[in-house]
Amino acid sequence: MTILSQLNGPAVYAVCGGIVAFVAVVCVVFMVRAWRAGVALGMDKAKMRRVITSSVTFTVLPSVGILLGVIALSGSLGTPWPWLRLSVVGALHYETQVAQAAAEQVGMSSLSAAEMTPRAFTTIALLMSVCIMWGMLLSTLFSKRYLKKLGGGGGTKGGGAAGFGDRAMTAMFIGLICAYLGSYIGAFVSGGQFPFNGDWSPLAVAGVSALTMAGCVYLSEKKGMAWVESFSIAGSMLVGMAAAVLLRLWV
Amino acid sequence: MNEQDKQAAFDRYNERTHTIGRVVSVTTLILLIGAPFALGAILGAMPDVGAVAKGFVSVGLVWMVSGVAEYLIYTPMLGAGGGYLAFITGNLINMKIPCAISARDMVGAKTGTAENEVISTLSIAASSLVTILVLALGVLLLVPLQPILQSEVLQPAFANVVPALFGAMAYKYFRGSMKIAAIPLVVMSLLFILIPSLTGSTSFMIIPSGAMAIAITWLLYRYERKSSDK
Repeated sequence: MTILSQLNGPAVYAVCGGIVAFVAVVCVVFMVRAWRAGVALGMDKAKMRRVITSSVTFTVLPSVGILLGVIALSGSLGTPWPWLRLSVVGALHYETQVAQAAAEQVGMSSLSAAEMTPRAFTTIALLMSVCIMWGMLLSTLFSKRYLKKLGGGGGTKGGGAAGFGDRAMTAMFIGLICAYLGSYIGAFVSGGQFPFNGDWSPLAVAGVSALTMAGCVYLSEKKGMAWVESFSIAGSMLVGMAAAVLLRLWV
Repeated sequence: MNEQDKQAAFDRYNERTHTIGRVVSVTTLILLIGAPFALGAILGAMPDVGAVAKGFVSVGLVWMVSGVAEYLIYTPMLGAGGGYLAFITGNLINMKIPCAISARDMVGAKTGTAENEVISTLSIAASSLVTILVLALGVLLLVPLQPILQSEVLQPAFANVVPALFGAMAYKYFRGSMKIAAIPLVVMSLLFILIPSLTGSTSFMIIPSGAMAIAITWLLYRYERKSSDK
């Protein structure tokens, strides 16, 4: 039995599907309660219906983009786990980065089914769960007090520190990307027996993916095709991954 | 119902939202942390907690800071119900936040009002249910495609998921921020070229790389503030 057959087994689907179903029920409960509260407040039902309809239509396209992310991760982590992660709590860019970091910790050179073992998988799955729990944890501990305080104090955000905080977050991601791109450059330049003789496929894939992203940005910003943005990350990733297959076939 | 009764009813709703929100957040947390152990029991291999701790130090801290910042920024926008739901269902920046903001703009609700609380909860709940439904249908359709997805020809694609992601993100983040990205990228490339064994610890290299990027951002920020003060 291959590792992917194990990761796609019915019991794994049952565990992941059960959690997705639980979260779906939570969403229904919140929705019904909010609707009733709106009616009690005398809000226009047509207005609330319009909010639901617009949110549904707004979400369909990005959801297809997220599904592409499930496909992208299913080759290394099986289908049920990425399905759970991207239905609940996760985001595509987060899941891939953390999965890669966890793969390194268990001694894998890359996140792939070829090197995956059941222990590596459960370790990766645990790290993915632990690293993204902060929003839920902070909501549980502080939301009531935090919102009450904002309600009383007006909730305006400061200028200087908040401005830098926002930039620092972006800088942190830039640093993260630089570390990985640097590793691809290093692997190509000094990974082989001779200089510039190492594995160049990650670098080529990253290049194709970046070019596709540039195309998506051009279409959404310059050509008014804003819907392209919903697919930009997942779409660029899939084009980059397709390039990896073509490069392997041709080179 | 007069205004006072409405306010009292809304306060009760809000109070109960916090109670339900806390219970479901804790339950979801337990389920998500417990799932790898449940899967470990099924697969006959429990997670390596030591490796998880090391991974957390290398990459988890970055996400912790980002998680705290997201919480502080988005909770006031989303209100109680919307906030709990959004942090449980994820995909905040790419979906839930724009969805809730567009719903709020559509009806003209103001942050911190009862109307905003109701609208953002309805919007995020609807959005989350659509994502869950689309993904469930997609996964059902994926089952017959498994033999194709596992074929030898497609394996290079799945082995390059991470470079594909970082390529796309590099364009997105470097665009307009090359002043910040240039030095960390050059330094990291040189380090990986000169010490090839570092490739196995790329996630640890995020820390010096991130520190460099933040330091450059701080210098640029200070320079901009000084220039604007003059």
